[in-house]
Order: sequence, then C-alpha cells, then structure tokens
Amino acid sequence: MRSTVAWRLLRHDRSATAGALLGVVAIVFLVGQQLSILFGLLQYMSVLVDHSGADVWITSASVRNVDAVNLIPGQYLERVMGLPEVAWAAPILFGNGLMRTADDSFEAVRLVGLHRPRLQGGPWALAQGRVQALLDLESAAVDRLDLKKFAHPALGSLTEINGKRVRLTAITEGARAFQGTLVFLPLDQVRDMAQTPPGRYSAILVGFQPRADQQTALARLRALLPECSVLTTAELSRRTQLYYLTNTGIGGSFGFSTTIAVLIGIVIITLTMYASVLQRTRDFAVMRALGGRRRDIAVIVLCQAVIVGGIGIFLGLFLLAALLNATRGSDIPSFLPAVVPPLLAGITLLVSLLGSLVALRKALQADPASVFH
Amino acid sequence: MADLRLENIARDFYDGRQLRRVLFPINLTFKPGELTVLAGPSGSGKTTLLSIIGLVLRPSEGRMWLSGREVTGLADDVASKMRLATYGFVFQQPMLIDGLSVQDNILLALGIQGAHIPGVVRQRVAELLTSLGLADTARLPPQMISGGMKQRVSIARALIKDPAIILCDEPTSALDAENGQVVMGILKKIAVAEKRLVVVVSHDARVFPFADRLIKMENGTVVADTAAGKPQGLDVAS
Repeated sequence: MRSTVAWRLLRHDRSATAGALLGVVAIVFLVGQQLSILFGLLQYMSVLVDHSGADVWITSASVRNVDAVNLIPGQYLERVMGLPEVAWAAPILFGNGLMRTADDSFEAVRLVGLHRPRLQGGPWALAQGRVQALLDLESAAVDRLDLKKFAHPALGSLTEINGKRVRLTAITEGARAFQGTLVFLPLDQVRDMAQTPPGRYSAILVGFQPRADQQTALARLRALLPECSVLTTAELSRRTQLYYLTNTGIGGSFGFSTTIAVLIGIVIITLTMYASVLQRTRDFAVMRALGGRRRDIAVIVLCQAVIVGGIGIFLGLFLLAALLNATRGSDIPSFLPAVVPPLLAGITLLVSLLGSLVALRKALQADPASVFH
Repeated sequence: MADLRLENIARDFYDGRQLRRVLFPINLTFKPGELTVLAGPSGSGKTTLLSIIGLVLRPSEGRMWLSGREVTGLADDVASKMRLATYGFVFQQPMLIDGLSVQDNILLALGIQGAHIPGVVRQRVAELLTSLGLADTARLPPQMISGGMKQRVSIARALIKDPAIILCDEPTSALDAENGQVVMGILKKIAVAEKRLVVVVSHDARVFPFADRLIKMENGTVVADTAAGKPQGLDVAS
C-alpha cells in the first residue's frame, strides 16, 4: 500500500515529479556523457598497446608511457626468441614526421613502423585496402577519421613524409591516438624518415606460446633483460593512461565536470522533492494520525525517491545510448565499458536517495496533532 | 468494545515566552455505545482533549487507560499502532489525500503500516460506501465529489478498520445543515447500534440532539457533564 501511495502521489504531483526526474536524467546523461568521452580518450591514449596483439612489451627502462620510450638494441630480439615460452617477437619503431596533405599543406603525424612480414602492432581494422599492402616499402595507412586532416587523399595517391615518398594503400578504422595522428608504415621507412640509427627499435612486442605459463615467462623475460621495462600489454596500457590522466589535467577536468553534474542533479532532486513534500505536509500528518509511524512516512518518501530514480535512470541511459549510437564512428571519442552503466545507475540511485533526505526530514516532522484544527 | 478513563489529565503549551496551561486536570470516563459531544467555545480545550484521547498528543500531567491498559506515555510507534488498531478519526475537513482515489483513501487507514489488503476488504469498502450513500464513487478522485460526500468518505475511512473508538473533530462545521444532519445521523447509528465509543467535538448546537452525553468545556475545564448529572449550563449554542 505504501509503495502504491508513493507512486500515486508522484503521478498526481506531476510538475514536482518532472522536476525530480529532470535532476536524475541530468545526472545520468551528463555524467554518462562525460565518462564516455573520458573512456574514449583513455582508449585513444593506449590504442596502439591495446590492439598490438602482444602479450608483453619490452621497452627502455622505467618507461612512463608508450609514447616516451628510448630506443633499445635489436640484439634483444635474438635473446628473447631464445626463450622456449616465446612464440614470436617483433620490433616496432615510433617516430615523428610531417606529412604533405592533398592540398599541399603539411600535417604533423606520429609514425608507427611495422616489421615486415609480420606487421605486428599494425592496423587491426581497415575501412579500405588490405593490410598486406603495408608490405610494400612505400606504403602507408592512415585512419578514416583523419582523412579530413590530409584534405581527403584518394586511396593509392602519392604523397611524402619528411621528404620520403609514400603511397596511401590502406585506410584504417578506429586507429586514432591521443598523442598524434597515426600513420602506419614499414619499419625501414620510418627509420629513414625519423633518421634513427640502424638496429635499434622503440619496443619489442612478444607473444607467448599458447600453453606457456605467463607469469613464469614474464619472470624469465625480466631476468633476461634487467636493463629494460618488461610489461604486460595491460600494464603498459594502464601506465600510459594513468600518465596522461595525471599529467595533462584531463583527469582533474573530467572529475570536476562530473562532480558538478552530480551536484546539480542533487540540488534539483533535493529542491523538487522538498517542494513536493512541503505541499504534502498535511497529508503526511493525516497518515500519521491514521496510525502511520515515522518509518511508514519514510518508506513512502524513499519509495518516491527510488521510483523517480529508477525512471530517471532508465530515461537517462536511454538518452545516453542514443547519443553514443549517434556519435559512434564519428571523431568524438566516446566509449562506455559495460561495467559503467550499472555502476552509474547504482550511484544515481544513491544520489536520488541522498537528494530525498531533506524532503524526508521535513516529512518526518509532520505532526499528527496538527490535523486537529 | 473499549472504554476510556482519564485521570487528572492536563496539558501545557509553551507559547514562545512562557508555559501556558490550556487544559486543567480533567477526570472523565467514556463508555462504548454512546455518542459523547464535547462542546464549548473556541479555545476551551476541547480539541486538545480530543487529541490526547486520540493518542496524537501526550498529556503534561495525569494518566489515561484504554480498556484497562494505561496508554499515557506510549512510545510513538506503539501509539501509532494503537491508533491504527483501535481508533477511527473524522476531522473537521475531510482531509482526503489528492492523488488517491476514494477507495485508496479509505484503504490507506488499513494499509499505512504496510499490511497487505485482501480482496475481501475492497469488497467491504464498496459495501461501506453504498451504506453511506456513496455507491459508484470508489474509483473517483476526491476532487470529483462534493464536500458532504467527502466527509462521508472520511467516515468510511474511519469505519473500515472496524475501530472501537471513533473521534470526530467538528465533523459538521464544513457542511451545510442538511449534510450535517446526515453525518450526525450516521455517527449516532455507529455509536448506538454498533456499540462503539464515539466522541464528537463541536460548538455547533445542531449536533447536540444527537448526543447521548454532552460535556461542556470552558477555559480548559469541564464545566458541565450530563453523565455527571450536571445538565446546567449546557446552552452552548455557538
């Protein structure tokens, strides 16, 4: 009966209910949207690591992020391959360059040199072309969403990076990075463009045998190369994301805007529910006089908060899903891990209950004696 | 059936500057099967007394027994349970809750503490409404019925629990003469035919003919009580 009363009162007090719903929807939608951009950017930060297909990355010592690695000697490759747990090892070389655009301008790019024929760490999804095209020394691949920056060059068109001729042979999908526009090239080409010394690489990617014990293999690699950072892909991904989160102000900025969104939501919920309860003070006093305990009034008010929270969460998540769908494949970074929506729903429900506390306090003050004139 | 016994019941209020006594020690006993009218001018303490009898206000002094059980200083939750189980209230205004249908307003008196409402009770609501001349109003919102009908709904709300005690605070003051007579007729029947203890607070002389017992209050004291053989001074017309 109490939950029915809560529902009926909400349905009757439409403007107050709409206001409280707005608060909940604002929290879910604004926080969700902020988080989707944050997670989208986090994906950008570690996109090369996450999609490398490697179990382990070997880089220079004390690496803070994948974009700030010193060169390591190529001899490590042979030493790594000597371990029985290692199925394959492939070097990768990063560099910076200026790429001539189709309208004769230049665009700064992040060069990713891939070792042929394995091309490990290279494109994982293509919009146009074939990945094997990168076996050709002059070939290059850029992302579909970056084509605008290069003035929409046609597939197969020729251009230059750092004065070296390249041919656009593939268009990647989802290969966008936080630290620059990615261009995938054969490793030797990057060495020429970035003028790195021969036999040295940015990192060595390692894949373990399918049945190898990962922890043992990792320990052996670390013992074998004490002068290097030997990190699992997940470790390097986390380390890179954490570096950018804490050193660029992104974490603080998103944290601040998310907090503001939550606070605005709480204020809206608090004010509207308080106003609603204020209008109902007489009714709560009647309920108390009829035999309702304080806890029964609390149940009704908290039921209202849960109902408003539930409907608001549903509407907010629906709007958020619509937004994410609309921005999927666009150049707005947006991604929500599966764990976020339920977590967001749970937190929003708590916030709704928190927002109802002031109203609850007022409702509990309803004096049954006041119904006698 | 229940009887109520009040022994030296008094009540003080703090008016912001000083403690003021609004009810001086009162000794009264109420029996089932009679309709008692508490009469008196505004400020005479009759509503305060009704609130104490109804367990919504605690007396500052004195003791009170309900069917032999002392109920003077009950904890809030216990008093609420007792109100739910034993009392029915009819207020000056019908105090129906907007947003709830007539039926839900009546059922609220039973389900406010979360009890399950069986289907048979809904049937009883329909019968009760019919007996009060409110057939076919169960699904209506309160704002769709007249003032007199609302007050009868509030009587149905008081009766649905089958309470031993019914307390009414100026139940006819918001009604026209005709509806006032109808409501008092119903209350009289409830008291006498159903052997309930009914106390009506009123300063409306038109309700006095319905009283089995008339108690007149002035300045916080009982100045006349027909049960005590003190009929003098009962010309309390408003």
